[in-house]
Amino acid sequence: MGCPCELRFYGKKEKEIENAFRQCVARAKEFEHKYSRYLDDSVTTSINRSAGKSRTTIDQETFALLDYAQVCFELSNGFFDITSGTLRQCWNSQTTELPSQIQIENCRSRIGWEKVTYSETEIFLPVKGMELDFGGIVKEYAADALVASAQKNGVEFGLINLGGDIAMVGPQADGSPWNIGIVHPTIKGATIAKIELSSGALTTSGGYERFIEIDGQRYSHLLNPKTGFPTDSMLSATVIADQAVVAGSITSIALLNNEKEGLRWLEDSKLPYLAITKNLDCLGTLARTD
Amino acid sequence: MKKIDPLLALTTAALSLPVFAGNPPTEKEISLRASSYKEDDISKTSVLSGSPERYKIDKTHFRLLTPIGSNWSTEINTSQEVMSGASPWGTFSGSDEQPSLIMSGATIKDKRTEVGVSITNYQDNASYGVTLGTSHEDDYKSRSIGLSAGWDLNNMSTLGIGFSFSDDDIEPTDAKKFGRIQQAKKQTRSFSVSWTQIINANSLLFSGLTYTNKEGFLSDPYKLRDTRPDKKSEWAASLKYRIFIDSKNAALHLNYRLYNDGFGINSHTVNAEWHQNISLRWKISPRIRYYSQSQADFYLDADDFSLPKTVNQSSDHRLSGYGAITAGIQANYELSGWKIKVGFDRYISDNHYGHDSSRYSHPALLDFNLTSLGIEYKF
Repeated sequence: MGCPCELRFYGKKEKEIENAFRQCVARAKEFEHKYSRYLDDSVTTSINRSAGKSRTTIDQETFALLDYAQVCFELSNGFFDITSGTLRQCWNSQTTELPSQIQIENCRSRIGWEKVTYSETEIFLPVKGMELDFGGIVKEYAADALVASAQKNGVEFGLINLGGDIAMVGPQADGSPWNIGIVHPTIKGATIAKIELSSGALTTSGGYERFIEIDGQRYSHLLNPKTGFPTDSMLSATVIADQAVVAGSITSIALLNNEKEGLRWLEDSKLPYLAITKNLDCLGTLARTD
Repeated sequence: MKKIDPLLALTTAALSLPVFAGNPPTEKEISLRASSYKEDDISKTSVLSGSPERYKIDKTHFRLLTPIGSNWSTEINTSQEVMSGASPWGTFSGSDEQPSLIMSGATIKDKRTEVGVSITNYQDNASYGVTLGTSHEDDYKSRSIGLSAGWDLNNMSTLGIGFSFSDDDIEPTDAKKFGRIQQAKKQTRSFSVSWTQIINANSLLFSGLTYTNKEGFLSDPYKLRDTRPDKKSEWAASLKYRIFIDSKNAALHLNYRLYNDGFGINSHTVNAEWHQNISLRWKISPRIRYYSQSQADFYLDADDFSLPKTVNQSSDHRLSGYGAITAGIQANYELSGWKIKVGFDRYISDNHYGHDSSRYSHPALLDFNLTSLGIEYKF
C-alpha cells in the first residue's frame, strides 16, 4: 500500500486468526493492485493512460469511489480534488527551488474534477496528461474493508493500521480500548496525545510527515488545487468516525483549508477531533483539558 | 441557503461503497425460539359456570435464512403452538348488573402448525419478495400469499409496498352438538405502503399505512350468541422512530400506531424500547407498551337473546372498550456467531386504562405472562 501496514488480531482459535490474516493481506494486495498509480496494470493507470483520448470501462466499486470523491469535491468547495495529483510534478521531494508561475499554470490546466465525466460504467478524463489519484480515499476505504473481512472471518479483537489510518476490528483481547498515540508534528518520534478507542476508526492528516524544504522554508506536501501552491493549514488533524473513509475525508479537507477554515470545518463535522495548530496548540474535543 | 451537514453527506456516500452497502444476506442464519404464554385465571366470582382456567400456549418457532447465489435469498419459518384451557362462551348480567361469564370446560386442546416460505430478489436499488404460507388447526385452515417490493431512493429513503391475500376455512369442533355453524369461509386482502427515511447517521423514521379488507364469516363460532357483519375494512397508520444515542451507547425505539375499523373500533398503541449495550456481548432491553381501544358499535355488556340472530351483537371482551399495559425486558448475549435471547413480558388490561372504555370492565379481559427463550446462529 506504499506505507507501513499493521494488522493486529487476537483470538482463541489460531487457525481462525491465521485464516483471517491471510484473507486481509490478500484483500489489501487486491486494493493496491487495483488502485495504485505506480502499477502498470492498475485501474488508475489505465484511466490515466486514456486521458484526452478515450473512455475507460469501470466496475461498480470504482464508480462508488468516484461518487464518493464527487461528494468530497462538493463539500470542500473544490479543495478535495482527486485530479490534483499532477501538481506533484511542480512540488516533490526533489524540488529545490520555487516552481515558476508558468510551470504551476501548466499543471493547473490538467486539474479539475469538474471537467471529468463518468457514469456507472465509464469514465473520461478530457485533457491529455490529466491524472486521477485515489490515494486520499482508497487507503481509508481499504482499512474499512479489511475490518469487515476480519470480522466476517470471526476476529473479535484487533485493529488495522494502514499508514496511520486506524480502523478497529474490536477492542484489545481483554476488552479494554486501544491506546493510540498521535504523532508530534515537529518532534520526530514523539507523540503529542494519546487517544483511547475500541470501535470505529481514527485517521490523522498532517502536512508535516513529508514536507518540501526550499530555501529553509518548509512547505506541506498537501497541495491546493486552486492556487497550485502547498496549503498553509494547521499542522495536523485527527478525527474519529464510524468509517475510516469518512474520518479520512474530514481530516484531509481540514488540512486543505487554511487554519481558521479548517478548524471551522472540523467543528461543523460534529465528530470528535484533535487539531494541532501552527502554534502547536491542541484544540478540539479530543484535546486534553488538564 | 441550506447548509449541508458534511458528516451526513459523507456517511451517506460511504454507505454506497460495496463494503458498507445494504446487500443481500451473505450469511446463513438459523434460529429456534420457544415461548410460553399463560393467561391468569378469571376471578371465580365472575364465572357463572365452566372453568376459570384460561389459555396456556406453548410455542416453538424455527427460522432459516439463507442466501442463494449473489442476488437471492430464501427464508423458511415454521412454528407450532399447543393450546389448552377454557374460553368464554357468553356474558350475562349478574344480580348487580356486573357482567358474569359462562365459560367452556377446561378441555379445549388444539395444535396449530404454521409454515411460511419466502424468496427475495435483490437488485442494485430494489428488492422484490414473494411469501407463501399455510396454517393448520383442527378447526381452522389458512393459506396465504404475500408480495412485497422495496426501492432504495437516493440512499436515504426506502419506499415499500406490499399486498397479501389469505383464504381461510373455519370448521368449528362439536358443531352439530352445540348448533354451531358447520363450515364457513373468510378472505383477507391487505395493502400496505411504507416510507423509511434516514434522518442522520444515528436516527431514522418509518411511516406506514395499511388497508385490510376482510370478508366472510367474522363471528366467533364458539360463543352462544355472536353475530358480526360479514365485511370489515381496517386502516392502520404507524410511525416508528429509531435513534442511537452515542453518549449512552444505547438505542431508543418509539412506535405509535393508530387503528380504525368498520366495526367502529378505534385504537392507539404506543410503545417504547430502550436497547442498552452493556458490553460487546451483553444487551439489556426494557420495554413498555400502552394500548387503548373503543368498543365496537354492536358490542353489548351482556348477550341479548331477545334480539333476532340476524342482528349484530357480540359480548366478546376483544370488542369491548379497554386499555392495556405491557411491561417487559429482554436480555441478549452474543458470542462468535451465537446469540441467546431471554425475555419476559407482563400484560394487564382493564376498562379503567382505556381512553374510551365500555361501561363495565369485561370480566374476561386478560392478564398474562409471556416468557421466551431464543437461540440464533449465523454461519
